[in-house]
Amino acid sequence: MEASVTVGVVANPASARDIRRIVAKGGAVTTHDKLNRLQCVLAGLGAMGVERVISMSDRSGIAAGLQRLSTRASSESWPMIDFVDQTITGTKTDTTVATETMVKAGVGAIVVLGGDGTNRVVAGSSQDVPLVCLSTGTNNAFPRFTDPTVAGMAAGLVASNLDCRTAGTYRAKMLTVEHAGRVENAVVDVAVTSGDRVGSGAVWEMDSVLELFLCFAEPGAIGLSAVGAAVQPTTRRLPTGLNIRLGGTGDESDPSKPGSGERSPEQSSHEERVKAPIGPGLVADVTIKSVERLEPDAPVEVRSPAGVIAVDGERFFRFDSGDRPVVTLSGAGPVVTDVPAVIHFAATNGLFNSPSTAAHVANPAHDAEPKSETKPETRKR
Amino acid sequence: MTSLDRLAMYTEMVRIRQYETRILQEYHGDKTPAWDIGAGLIPGEMHLSAGQEPAAVGVCAHLKKGDAITAPHRPHHFALAHGVDMNAMTAEIYGRTTGLCKGKGGHMHLFDPENHFSCSGIIAQGYPVACGQALAMKRKGTDNVTVAVAGEGAANQGAFHESLNLAAVWNLPVIFVIEDNDWAISVPREASTANTSNADRAAGYGIPGVRVEDNDVEAVFEAAGAAVDRARSGEGPSLIEVHTLRLLGHFEGDAQAYRPDLETVDERDPIPRYAASLMEAGELTEAQADDIKAAADAEVDAAIQFAVDSPIPTPEDALQHVFA
Repeated sequence: MEASVTVGVVANPASARDIRRIVAKGGAVTTHDKLNRLQCVLAGLGAMGVERVISMSDRSGIAAGLQRLSTRASSESWPMIDFVDQTITGTKTDTTVATETMVKAGVGAIVVLGGDGTNRVVAGSSQDVPLVCLSTGTNNAFPRFTDPTVAGMAAGLVASNLDCRTAGTYRAKMLTVEHAGRVENAVVDVAVTSGDRVGSGAVWEMDSVLELFLCFAEPGAIGLSAVGAAVQPTTRRLPTGLNIRLGGTGDESDPSKPGSGERSPEQSSHEERVKAPIGPGLVADVTIKSVERLEPDAPVEVRSPAGVIAVDGERFFRFDSGDRPVVTLSGAGPVVTDVPAVIHFAATNGLFNSPSTAAHVANPAHDAEPKSETKPETRKR
Repeated sequence: MTSLDRLAMYTEMVRIRQYETRILQEYHGDKTPAWDIGAGLIPGEMHLSAGQEPAAVGVCAHLKKGDAITAPHRPHHFALAHGVDMNAMTAEIYGRTTGLCKGKGGHMHLFDPENHFSCSGIIAQGYPVACGQALAMKRKGTDNVTVAVAGEGAANQGAFHESLNLAAVWNLPVIFVIEDNDWAISVPREASTANTSNADRAAGYGIPGVRVEDNDVEAVFEAAGAAVDRARSGEGPSLIEVHTLRLLGHFEGDAQAYRPDLETVDERDPIPRYAASLMEAGELTEAQADDIKAAADAEVDAAIQFAVDSPIPTPEDALQHVFA
């Protein structure tokens, strides 16, 4: 009996709703926009032979909308949709619980609709399951702008075909910040800000940012990583990241303090001022004091003696005494799908040739086998 | 936001909570053994705001003399946070002649012209009124703002949409606040609302819509501060939806059999959580917290005594102050 191909879907109903609608020009990605994109994803998944989808539950209209839409005739080509049986808290715990459940259920991919923050939470529990990330947040450096139908097709291919997975996924970088027993991960950036409270979470006042740690800094992205892109573009596939000291008011590091001297030799310390798009409609003049390469697996202590740590643009916790937080870049982030690479691989290997469902296309690794008997590859652990 | 801001917000939340807790006790004190909603010193329905203090306190921290609030049927937290006199408000709740409306309104009809505070039992009624007040402020050339408060269920009323439209097209200094406590009486949002996000609805009228999660007073403070600044500087209206918590029933006497989250309600109480966070940050001690609570209790005791000692309206009073 063939194992059925299952894909998880996490659509954060709360993404693109924070204070940056007021303090910046953050746009709205409405619940109906998200549902529309989900319908496209489901069409793509269905076309690639995915039989079952497990969706996060929520009380904000996404799950209810999917249930409503899945009873209509237009949903005939979709996979069957199950919803995670979870206690809904309306917090990021819902995303974590849903992701854990999907991983346990053996999904072959997880489609994520959200911004950097949503992807960070999913990445915390996704283990080796490839993520297919669609931007529906405010700052979208981690998820790329991708057509949802194509993303659904790519997710179906990655979930059902090992070669597609091998050709079109990679393990992303990750930053880990540790302080006083607390550990937080970031998929794009860790910022040290001079404020003293978490408040509404978002970071938009660059004067308050003292130091940045970046997984990557790609031109074209918006958010804090754009500061890095303005001085030293760094791709997401490079093993190193960036550590940037800004012209804030924070105390300087004590060079004699352990850890603070462990900086990369490749650094520039001349002060310069750059323009960077740090939020929607917000182009900030940022004073750069130094830019250093962040080496993988080399813990770096933050320089400021006090402040608030922000993770992927969201303020998380205050530190003000004792040990300083330590940030480490690693290659141990989530497995991420490069959608165009998957589609390219599928096209060049005849995977879109009719009959088009992945359950019946040949895995190129088994070309000698009769096509109709080829089993779908569900996942690799 | 300074340490003093945070302590002031904590103090105000405790003041409101102690008030609601005492009103709860007083209200139920003389309605038994047979439940009679019309019996006792506080006759009529009672909608208490315990659990929703962060919304009122975080917003009102930014208001100044001349700013207005239109509140809904659950108004006590916004009234107290906006500076409505506790004695006159309590006397009104007790139906006494010293009350804000000389005892004719009761707890859902607290009108305080001095502080530009009003409320109503008609769902979403305060939204159009807020637009009118904001229009007056704008035409007078002041930098005052109006805050319109309603629950998430009220956002299905036509008045909500008409008001967002009017405020947007006239660029009025209004901050629309939606308190989403998950329950429109007994109805969850997804059962009654096609567009479950009021931030989305704001976007439909071209105004910023923000949702504040976790019933966090500091997050409300920041969002409201940005919205108030925006309105004062002529940039126009905003909508802030606060995901808050109804600790008690929709009204007193509501058994809440429809509510599956009752078991976890107490652990989500925002006030102990905020106290713990301030203590962890070294900004509040146990002794200070005790003093804050004691001061609130003393003020509430005095207000209730003032109400109880105040005259009950005579039959002749029924014909006074009825027509403008």
